[in-house]
Amino acid sequence: MNQFTKKINPSEPGIETGHEHNPWVAGLIFKMAMIMSIIFAAFYARVHLNDKTEQLAREKARITEEIREKRTEIQTLIAQRETLRSWDNINSKIRQYNLALRSVNPSQVRYMKRFEGQVAAPSYGSDTRVADTSAGTVQSSGAVQ
Amino acid sequence: MTLFRSMAIRMALVYILLICGFGYVARVLYSVQITRHGELFGKAQDTYTTRIETHGTRGEIFDFGGSLLVGNVPTMDIVGDPANIYILNKKDKDKTETECRLIADFFEKNCENVNSDEVFRRLSRRTFTTTNAGGEKVERDCHYAVIATGVKYETAKMLKEKVRELAFHGVSFTSSYRRNYPKNTMLANILGLTNVSYDTFVPIQGIERTLNNEMTATSGSMVYERARNGRSVTYVNSKSEPTLDGYNIFLTIREPLQAIVEEELDLMCERVKPHAAWAILVDPKTGDVLAAAQRPTFNPNDRSTMTPESSANRLSELALEPGSIMKPFVVSYALDRGFVTPNSMVDCEQGVWKYAGRLLHDTHNVGKVPVTEVIKQSSNIGTAKISVMMGAKNLDTALRSFGFGQRTGIQLKPETSGIFRPLEKWDSLSVSRFCIGQGIAVSPLQLARAYCMIANGGYKVNLRIVDRIERGDDVRVMPVIKDKKSIFTNPTTKKMITDMMIGVTEAGGTCTEAAIEGFHVAGKTGTAQKVINGAYSNRYYASFVGFVPAEDPKFVLLVTCDDPTVGSRYGGSASGPTFKAIAERTLKYMYVQPQLSREEWLAERSAAQKALHERKVREDALVQARREERDRQLKAQQAKATTKKTGTTVASRPASTAKSSTIRR
Repeated sequence: MNQFTKKINPSEPGIETGHEHNPWVAGLIFKMAMIMSIIFAAFYARVHLNDKTEQLAREKARITEEIREKRTEIQTLIAQRETLRSWDNINSKIRQYNLALRSVNPSQVRYMKRFEGQVAAPSYGSDTRVADTSAGTVQSSGAVQ
Repeated sequence: MTLFRSMAIRMALVYILLICGFGYVARVLYSVQITRHGELFGKAQDTYTTRIETHGTRGEIFDFGGSLLVGNVPTMDIVGDPANIYILNKKDKDKTETECRLIADFFEKNCENVNSDEVFRRLSRRTFTTTNAGGEKVERDCHYAVIATGVKYETAKMLKEKVRELAFHGVSFTSSYRRNYPKNTMLANILGLTNVSYDTFVPIQGIERTLNNEMTATSGSMVYERARNGRSVTYVNSKSEPTLDGYNIFLTIREPLQAIVEEELDLMCERVKPHAAWAILVDPKTGDVLAAAQRPTFNPNDRSTMTPESSANRLSELALEPGSIMKPFVVSYALDRGFVTPNSMVDCEQGVWKYAGRLLHDTHNVGKVPVTEVIKQSSNIGTAKISVMMGAKNLDTALRSFGFGQRTGIQLKPETSGIFRPLEKWDSLSVSRFCIGQGIAVSPLQLARAYCMIANGGYKVNLRIVDRIERGDDVRVMPVIKDKKSIFTNPTTKKMITDMMIGVTEAGGTCTEAAIEGFHVAGKTGTAQKVINGAYSNRYYASFVGFVPAEDPKFVLLVTCDDPTVGSRYGGSASGPTFKAIAERTLKYMYVQPQLSREEWLAERSAAQKALHERKVREDALVQARREERDRQLKAQQAKATTKKTGTTVASRPASTAKSSTIRR
């Protein structure tokens, strides 16, 4: 039986009666305090997490913007690089600096064998080099002058 | 008692009032929460919800190896908010105008193509009149005035800093991009171009147009709840539809080879000054277009260079009478079906032959020669005779099996299918003219494809210019479409026709200029009269088409000059040297090992030269003998006439017997 609900005999020695010490009220206050603190803690945690999320979102937005700017710069640089890589540009430089580049005679080219009975495989399919064209020098693995 | 009753009444009144009050509140709540829920919720949502449209970027175009051919360059648009400038200086109108003028002058000074007065006019227009849904005219604040568009990214970045320093209000920078063609004129007619209309790219021609759907980006959107400071509230749900960039296009074009072809084409144009010229390099096994160039062309970055002549895509849109380069198709079919063999003799009638009431001429006077020589010396009469022998139906089958009259399957629009009449509409002359490339119109792409079929042993292959399209991990490869069955029924046909075509670049052939040291070059010249206003003119298409190495072709190359005005007008002289230059450099680029050493090659050339010399000596002897025969006949006739005059009764012998009697003597 719950001691707080049992009937108290005032004549019983050692038991204090009166309003100064009411154990069930204290228990209720304690319970309420616990519940309130849990709610507060949950609320605080939520607010704190939201704040944290907001901070991270701001950070993310800043970094995203930086990435976007970097990407933009990269794209601009790619466009410049491709313009510089164009044959028109290379040819104009060859003419500008009067580079003495001559086309080789086929008889000057010797093909190095990599393996027995196999010459260097043509790799033009995936090759992205600018053509030797007037330079004419075959400078790639598997082909020597 | 009275007091109690009075209290009771008052209490009752209070209750009633409270009930009425609650009733009213309940009614209002019902109205707000149930009846007008949608309307009010929407209004509330509008105040704290933002929707942002996001745009992806248009796909870019690369060559096979990933070299950029068409890209996007980031730019910025600078826009003003006139209403904002006005509101900030509402109390002082003069100050507003001063501010507008300052902004306008600043941008005129720092940006290209910005007119200060024009910008000032736009910024000063603070309101505009519009018609609302009810049809009433209403005045609204103007929040958008363009100051400058397409400003280079670096410039815009610098301007943004300055604007911040100068504290110009109501000026904002928005990111955009424009289409950039970093290789300028290279492949311009194939790549095409776009225009911009209200932030949307409008494709005009070329790959940009053909693959517009694939390259167009998909717009996305994001709906989010925002806080008072305008930032999104991240801890509530937001909806977003993803933005997808357009597919990047990877062509079969090899940029280095393209550079070679373009450069050599320019040199040819300087040499023979043609009206136009073009060249196509194709892989005969896969139908991949490795390079394709034409002159005149234009620079898509500079629209002032665009003219109807320079912007047309001749390779796929032009249909022309090809001339003699059609001959190998007819002869190969005749060889394949057993109508002739390489050694069958054809009488080329010494350059003039009448068929169906019309004369047919040869450029060189050729007599009775084997079929090999018909191709080597490009005899119209010889080919026409073979064609007549085959018959119209077989000729029709032959030409259609090589793909004439059909599109090549290349991813370029528009593409002509040429002009090739159905068999029932042929006239009596058609059989002797179609075989020499007259009366039939084909596109340069069709010709290249047909030669691919000869080079690969008769397998019909569709031309490809797009290798694959990519978007992140999503890669779609365009398949090689090639027939599994060869059109040649005889396995030796390819060798026979190739050997004949090798003769074209050897001594006695029509294009020795196209011979390449160390390689056998199989080719064919073509000099076709241009049809102008329905009649043949004195202008020509001079072409050379061939494949190298002849035994195992790495590429098919077609070079055509439209109306060469300097030097020879023949295909061999006008286009042959350019063919040689391109082919030589291409072979080096592809690391194709020469088939013959220099000594072997020179020995072969001298042997061919010697054989030609011997043949010429034989022919000269034959001509000499014929001449002597004719002279003898004349002398005999003269002697007969003299005898008649002098009354001699001695009967003259016929000329043919005179010779034998002379010999006998």
